[in-house]
Amino acid sequence: MSKVERLRQRAKELLERQEVVVVLGYRASSRPGISQAAFITQKEDARHLIFDSTCSQNLANYLLKVKGKGRVAVVARGCDSRSIVVLLQEKQIEREKVYILGVSCEGVVVQGEKSVACRSCRYPNPVIYDEMIGEEVHFEPETVDDEFDQLTPDERWEVLSAEVERCIRCYACRQVCPNCYCPVCFVDASMPALVGKTHNVSDNMVFHIMRALHMAGRCVECGACHRACPMGINLMRFNRQVAKIVRERFGLVAGAKPDEMPALTIFKPEDPQEFIR
Amino acid sequence: MKVFLKHDDLKKLLEGIAREGRLFAPVKKDWYSGWARVSSMGEIVLRGEQAQLKGEEVNSREPAKVFVFPQSEVMFEFDEERAVEATEVPAVVVFGLRSCDGRAMAFLERFFVENRPEDPLVRQRREKATLIGVACNSPADSCFCTAVGGGPHERKGLDVLLREVNGGFLGEAETEKGEKLLAGFPAANEKDEAEAEKRRQEAEGKMALRIDLKRLKEVLDKGFNSPVWERLALECVNCGACTFLCPTCHCFDVTDETVRGKKKRSRVWDSCQFTLYSQHASGHNPRLNPAARYRNRVMDKFKYTVDMVGELSCVGCGRCVRVCPAGIDIRVAVAEILREEEAGKDGQ
Repeated sequence: MSKVERLRQRAKELLERQEVVVVLGYRASSRPGISQAAFITQKEDARHLIFDSTCSQNLANYLLKVKGKGRVAVVARGCDSRSIVVLLQEKQIEREKVYILGVSCEGVVVQGEKSVACRSCRYPNPVIYDEMIGEEVHFEPETVDDEFDQLTPDERWEVLSAEVERCIRCYACRQVCPNCYCPVCFVDASMPALVGKTHNVSDNMVFHIMRALHMAGRCVECGACHRACPMGINLMRFNRQVAKIVRERFGLVAGAKPDEMPALTIFKPEDPQEFIR
Repeated sequence: MKVFLKHDDLKKLLEGIAREGRLFAPVKKDWYSGWARVSSMGEIVLRGEQAQLKGEEVNSREPAKVFVFPQSEVMFEFDEERAVEATEVPAVVVFGLRSCDGRAMAFLERFFVENRPEDPLVRQRREKATLIGVACNSPADSCFCTAVGGGPHERKGLDVLLREVNGGFLGEAETEKGEKLLAGFPAANEKDEAEAEKRRQEAEGKMALRIDLKRLKEVLDKGFNSPVWERLALECVNCGACTFLCPTCHCFDVTDETVRGKKKRSRVWDSCQFTLYSQHASGHNPRLNPAARYRNRVMDKFKYTVDMVGELSCVGCGRCVRVCPAGIDIRVAVAEILREEEAGKDGQ
């Protein structure tokens, strides 16, 4: 039985036995190469489920949307499962309300190429699941963005300015992010307003840098935001830097270990603190 | 009057405009094309080149509305004593927009200018812009202009439409401005006209979708509380990509900013998909529910603007289909809405 067949069968069974009220997975969209979230509530609809390299969205994002409707089964790859871990750590969802159908993943393909985020993926297999659908996969991640690391701060500013110059502030990046769930985002604060609304590089930069900082120790580098951006902004430039700093300085990887405390909630005496003078 | 422009003639015409720094056209920006001031013809990315780019992108990613309704524009500067209105807008020539965007321009004129009181900013910008459209011969699978009353070779809203034929373009003026631009070019012959017609029919043939617009309107008139919205909105993440990149979406917010001591009142694009859009000063928000925001977009395209100014505000450019991060397709939504109505009837 193929992975997809197994997935469909299990989804059907879970609904049949009323173990869950909805199965959150992927289905094909109206267009080739593009898939979308599927909310399967009837067992006969389980046949619409798919799982392949077109599955671009991080379904953990939709867990918040169906919160409170009962137990939900969700298809989760490595990155999605790490987002779920972050949501659990941050008490946004309850473990017993989620049934995780783990799947291994070899990367999302966008326009014929492996998505930027997926090229350096270190977690193709779910880190948390209730059952695994199919086998685990193992491959070596590519090293990317080395040239960005070599740049001076001024040069980095240039590169990032060129990226955010294109931003139209549609907030697709924020909206598709499972771990970007503030009831009122700082850009939407109006009393007082924290970020200007006119279209310019400096306000765009404020949004992207603030968002990146808010994601420190929380971003799982799934790349959903990068793939969602209608203007093709390489948001992984921000995400990678933040994740890298947290990894190198604090030895932590967001959502990688379900029983580990997240970076922003712990303090260790040996934490680097040379910024305190 | 139809004229014929050899490739070289068009090149010379556009180069002349470009030398004055007034020419804007689609250029390669990423895997997509977008608007920029161009100085040489080599920068322009039209259908042929775009088809070679990755993905499906036969039109500029940003709609041509940016030329009459930019994402943000200063309305006036002010201090304690007085307000100084924004200075005159520069004259621009926009080359390479498609018929769908032309139709969207006509809509925006109808909405902002003919629909009184007029919006002087949009009027000025439209008056100062010359729109040279290029007929579309290779619609993408996300295109559906013919389903919403338009066509790939339509002139509406443009000043000039150029239709590619062997050896050059067939030029047709829609406005006085367009006639001036085309004055002096030789008349087209019947062969070229037949060729352009053939290409039009081929392009139209690539878009199979038909929508019963009258029935859709009737269904929407009664469909505000339909259960269909909750279902359709499930996948929607309520970002603003569809609305910001829609060539007819025209909502804006007004904001005051002080930049280096100068106080400016600007208007900026806003989107009905955002919670803040419908937030009242009292704190009440009539569209807090994401499904209500999703409904608003569909209602606006196919009902609200029809009620307000007598025109659909969907031109079938397909941008919302191409940019949606959730993979939502407005054509599927429309089909679902009509199907829901059918199912409802059966149940009675």
